[in-house]
Amino acid sequence: MSASDLSSKIKHNSKRSNMRISRGKKINRSRAGNMLLFVLMAICGLFMVLPIVMIVNNSLKPPDELFQFPPRLFVRNPTLENFADLFVLMGDTWVPFSRYILNTIIITGGGTIGHVLCASLAAYPLAKRKFPGSTLLFNVVILSLMFSWTVTQIPNYMIISALGINNTYLALILPSWSFGIGLYLMKQFMEQIPDSIIESARLDGAKEIKVFWLIVMPNVKPAWLTLAIFQFQILWGNTGGMFLRSEELKPMQFAMQQIMAGGAARAGASAAVAFIIAAIPITFFLICQSSIFETMTTSGIKE
Amino acid sequence: MKKSLSLSRKKAIVGLLFVLPFTTGFIVFIAAGIVSTVRMSLSDVVMAGTASGVELVWNEFQNYIIAFTQHPTFSEVLGTSLLNMLIDVPMIIFFSLFMALFINQKFRGRTLVRAIFFLPVILGAPAIATALSSARAMMIGGVSPASPEVMASLGSGMVVNVSYYLYMLGDLAIPPALIEYIIDAVARINSIISMSGVQIIIFLAALQSISPSVYEAAKIEGATPYEAFWLITFPLVSPLILTNVVYTIIDSFANSQVVTLSYNTIFTEYNYGLGSAFSLVSSLAVLVVLAIVTLLLSKRTFYHT
Repeated sequence: MSASDLSSKIKHNSKRSNMRISRGKKINRSRAGNMLLFVLMAICGLFMVLPIVMIVNNSLKPPDELFQFPPRLFVRNPTLENFADLFVLMGDTWVPFSRYILNTIIITGGGTIGHVLCASLAAYPLAKRKFPGSTLLFNVVILSLMFSWTVTQIPNYMIISALGINNTYLALILPSWSFGIGLYLMKQFMEQIPDSIIESARLDGAKEIKVFWLIVMPNVKPAWLTLAIFQFQILWGNTGGMFLRSEELKPMQFAMQQIMAGGAARAGASAAVAFIIAAIPITFFLICQSSIFETMTTSGIKE
Repeated sequence: MKKSLSLSRKKAIVGLLFVLPFTTGFIVFIAAGIVSTVRMSLSDVVMAGTASGVELVWNEFQNYIIAFTQHPTFSEVLGTSLLNMLIDVPMIIFFSLFMALFINQKFRGRTLVRAIFFLPVILGAPAIATALSSARAMMIGGVSPASPEVMASLGSGMVVNVSYYLYMLGDLAIPPALIEYIIDAVARINSIISMSGVQIIIFLAALQSISPSVYEAAKIEGATPYEAFWLITFPLVSPLILTNVVYTIIDSFANSQVVTLSYNTIFTEYNYGLGSAFSLVSSLAVLVVLAIVTLLLSKRTFYHT
């Protein structure tokens, strides 16, 4: 019988026995306890969903409902006017709104993929192939995590200028490849992989890069998906700050702040842009999330 | 395994090649910034016509002396930040482990529940936070986000006075320190939820890497779910509890008041030297906390070898 057959059988069995437990008498939790837990979870869940419901509903509200007081959560007369307003409003400016979206996608995509690759590559030898100086490197990276990036902005600006990548996408993408947190997370997860798997691949004649790509990376898929979600969020919210000065390079977050600064007159458009800005990371997140759960059934390498 | 010198050297070279892309970027973009912050904290920073635009004048630790003896708020803000961190971290770890265990279970409708309980992961993101604050402000009467007074006045009327109810628990001989901790925790529930996103995923990833066959074997041996948790799940997740504690300490400190203070000192008062000194002192303080916590936890951590 193959391993997958076996594991599916085990899963099936455990499912059945779980069900039996939930109906049977062996359980030591009372029904009242279960109900209490359920209510508690429901309240927590409500708190978590509420902001998203608010963003969605606001983007569909006509102006009179947006300004209603006391405010209502749910929209009465849903309309897509806000989105039309947004594109009309942004159509008047000399940089079209789609350009802002493209900028954000380039920065986020480049930064996320590069970061996950660089951090995983570096984490592998630190976790599994120690070399002289690897401990020192790791400690320095940990040390760097204590520093808030806000404080090192001035030196960073000087470095970016000196490299001549000021006012390009690279000014945001390249530094994000080396954030220490990714290395830290990947190393912690790679340490969990048993040496025996790596050793056996090596005995079969696999080169280091092959071991890394075909053995290590698939086994830490939850970790790098987590990292991707994490990095995606950070970069998605980037306004370009002081590094991007040309209007046609600015990301969407910057455009949103400009629209929001318009105050009451732009309330509809900013509700729409808030929806767009929030929708894409949530979608990305949901996709990654479901594949994090898929790996759950295929991994399980610990003995 | 016996290693010849050439082999170990070859291994070192392969290791270095793997680390190279990250390390180059790290030295150029991050380490250099930190080194320069250290230098600024030891100097008077003067605007000058030099190539870099600033001139550093050595001033015999004046910035550090000012920070501790003359600055009106620094010591206090640093203390508060550390205290807040100590309150937040156990809450976040507990909450995220609980959430991860809950999400990891098999039950009907779990896809929906997972999606919902994963939301804190994204709600903490800067983009969503901005979108949210605009949405919230609009709910309060369509004013632009820059009117905290309106939100404050509305907020005070709506929120139930939790502490009032909790202090009644004092009659049940619950120590006041515990009550205050609970009140604090309740008041922070929103920030705790939004700060525990990454931790939930980390725990979840750890839970998923435990083989189902271990539980199967335990069940055959007659272990109760309670025993299975303490004897299997907890030890196997424990290395990542340490990871999460470290991450949470760093993360909660990155958003703390003392960072805001040093930021303001640099960017609104233009006192680069003093601001850098603040930042360095607080980083060292976190480092000390981190070292103590790691020492305490790593003794209790189970390592799979």
